[in-house]
Amino acid sequence: MKNKISMRQAGIIILILVFSNKILLLPALMFDFVKGDAVISLIIMLALEFISLPILLKLKSKFPEEHLFDILQKYLSKAVAIIIYMVFLFYMMIKAILTFSIVYVYFKEQIYQEEFVAIALITFLPIMNHAAISGLKPIARTMELFSVVILTGFLFCLGIAVYTPLSIPDFFVASAGKIFSSVYKFAFPFGDFIFLFMIVDKIDYKKEQEKRLYFYTILSFILVITLFTLFYAKYELTSFMHNDALADLLAYSVRFNAIGRLDVIAIVTLLLSTIFQMEIFCYAFCDGVLKIFPLMDKWYAALIFDLLFLLLYYLVIGNYEVIVDATVKYFAPFGIFANFVFPLIVWIISRVKGRKNATS
Amino acid sequence: MSYFNVEEKLEEYKERLNDSVDYSNRIYEKGEQKICMIFLKSIIDQELLSNAIFLPLQTYEDDLSIDILKNKIIKCSEVKDIEEDKVINEILNGRVVIFTNFSDKIIAVDLFKFPTRVPTEPPTSPVIQGPREGFVEDLQTNITLIRRRLKTDNLVIKSLEIGTETKNKVIMCFLKDVANDKLVKDVYKKLKNIKINGVVDSYYILSFLEERPDSLFKQIGGAEKPDIVVSKILEGKVAIIVDNSPIVLTVPFIILEDLQNSNDYYTNHHYSSLVRIMRLMGLLIAILSPGAYLALQIYHYNILPLNFLITIADTTLGLPFTPFLEIIFIFLLFQILYEVSLRLPSYLGLATSVVGALILGDTGIKAGLISPPGVIIVALSKISLYTIPEQASQITVLQVIFIILGGSLGVMGVVAGLIYMVNYLNKIDSYGTPYLAPYSPRIPSDLKDALITSAPTQMDKLPKSFSPKKSKKVEVKDEK
Repeated sequence: MKNKISMRQAGIIILILVFSNKILLLPALMFDFVKGDAVISLIIMLALEFISLPILLKLKSKFPEEHLFDILQKYLSKAVAIIIYMVFLFYMMIKAILTFSIVYVYFKEQIYQEEFVAIALITFLPIMNHAAISGLKPIARTMELFSVVILTGFLFCLGIAVYTPLSIPDFFVASAGKIFSSVYKFAFPFGDFIFLFMIVDKIDYKKEQEKRLYFYTILSFILVITLFTLFYAKYELTSFMHNDALADLLAYSVRFNAIGRLDVIAIVTLLLSTIFQMEIFCYAFCDGVLKIFPLMDKWYAALIFDLLFLLLYYLVIGNYEVIVDATVKYFAPFGIFANFVFPLIVWIISRVKGRKNATS
Repeated sequence: MSYFNVEEKLEEYKERLNDSVDYSNRIYEKGEQKICMIFLKSIIDQELLSNAIFLPLQTYEDDLSIDILKNKIIKCSEVKDIEEDKVINEILNGRVVIFTNFSDKIIAVDLFKFPTRVPTEPPTSPVIQGPREGFVEDLQTNITLIRRRLKTDNLVIKSLEIGTETKNKVIMCFLKDVANDKLVKDVYKKLKNIKINGVVDSYYILSFLEERPDSLFKQIGGAEKPDIVVSKILEGKVAIIVDNSPIVLTVPFIILEDLQNSNDYYTNHHYSSLVRIMRLMGLLIAILSPGAYLALQIYHYNILPLNFLITIADTTLGLPFTPFLEIIFIFLLFQILYEVSLRLPSYLGLATSVVGALILGDTGIKAGLISPPGVIIVALSKISLYTIPEQASQITVLQVIFIILGGSLGVMGVVAGLIYMVNYLNKIDSYGTPYLAPYSPRIPSDLKDALITSAPTQMDKLPKSFSPKKSKKVEVKDEK
């Protein structure tokens, strides 16, 4: 259908978004807080995130063609819709900066070996803008094409890790309170379904294809959980020292490292998935801006994204420790809102709509 | 009663045709009855003229009328009445126009003939196995070549005239029970709306048919062999034949078509799959290798295997150029040699290639101007380019873009450029068909004839990508 994406493409978007902010730095950070129980925290967070999926599908079935902003406006007033969307815009912007910062540090250390902020920005911003202006369909199609490469790279990294000495991580070391505290603390990198809510009107929904969306969601969750588990099994108590989880899975494998630098595969996988994640964040931001300011041109929306991105990155945030620290200390409520509160709001709206239909 | 003053008409049309050297006329008189014939002797069959018109006229003894002239005397397959405003057009199209002083009707007799070449194997599409016939410049011959392969009443051949000066006949060919109605309508509309003074070759109308005429990427298929065009018509595409051009255009077009070759269908499908994958790799090597090599050499030398790094360091030591300029220099050298060898006569072209490739390359390395790895990388990318010769010009432009990206931004630039390119390609729809189909978006049923091909017995469905009217190639009727 014109300008709509298929259920499969929506699933692939979720698959790639779930990898964002979770496969490099997060395993080390979470280990530092709750040790091996980080896997349990992760499972709890993913399980909570998973609840968004049936809510999303219910919303789609109740409002097949309506944009999320219009639904919110209809049921919660325009002012509330704008406030919620402002939160989303902030959320998408910080996610983009966080993703960029983490990956930037990784690439700086691994392949550029010098400061290359200008190069990275010149590379990322135009491609993000182009994607945002082109629309969701080309982004989804490109992701569909490259998803094979990303998945193969990811599986390769996991597969190589199996060939190194592994030990079962120690679970149930931290108290339940600490585990739930970590769920709150590290909530920001989660909540990726927000994006699907934002593009709900652009999904070519077919009831019989719902299983595709479930398949890709579950697949992404399994891959992330496997990555965390293998990473902790490989590095045990030193896990908190390794900031590049996916790439570090390939290290110290004598048998395979004789071939050459295998981390190139992790580099390509990360680079591809990061570019797509950034495209999605930029698209979501621009789409939100255009909904709040309907008369604005999409070029201006992209320009606003660029300016805010540069401003926040250079002036407010500065370096990656600051942004990572801020997401843990201050931005966790945004993650909680995106992951749990907002899906609840949507669920209530769907129920109200269902009742209204039943009454009429 | 006199209808036309034939002498006046002769003078009028002689003047209107600028008293051209090939202008010719004849007047046949029988009593008071006068028949005047006007034609261009350069484009008619003069032998047929005397046998089909003059001789029967001389032997006919009764009174003449226009109907007798048309139906009994003129022995030719196409004789028709025309309006006076069409006279010039008919003369220019190789017809003999006849005026009489006993009727107000004007007759045009088709005696068109011009030298044509015999259908031979086109130099751009040689095959090891399979048919060797190629299209020629003559429209009728080309239609014959298609008609001979499609003996069905479903074949529709529609004609249009394009070009205010050249007045070319343009033919649309499709199967009415397969080709999508919207596609046919859209193509017809686009052809009808072409405003151009001349169509010298089918490529003149190419950009008028494209959805994004300013794009680097080609969006219309072209073939010089009837077997290829017929197979595309069978898939539900529309073929466009232009008079005076041996290249037949086909729409819609997807990029996968250039990875396919007619040879693939005449050999084992396992081998075809392997060859197609090689072509894709060739395409990627051609586009990415110089840019990626530059990125690795300038920014990411730590990724290179140590032995290769030592080789590069050894061979680039003391070069007067930076790596970026070195690759640009070698690239320019290859491109100049290519252009020269293309335009020179073949005997000189060969000499230039030898001088260029052996002497310039070898001496350049020995003189310490260029490095062997640089030459190898650029040569590899230039050779790989011809795994898909149809896209050679587009790939050359992309090579330059990726050299700049790799040299200035490193591997990040190369990967970002690749994604940008694919994103852009995904925006292109050729008459409703996604450019990267059946991979993006994924159309599972069409994957049987994609990079990996299935056995012909398994390819029982028509490609969904082109939205054909029916889904199966052969619809078996229930015989109960």
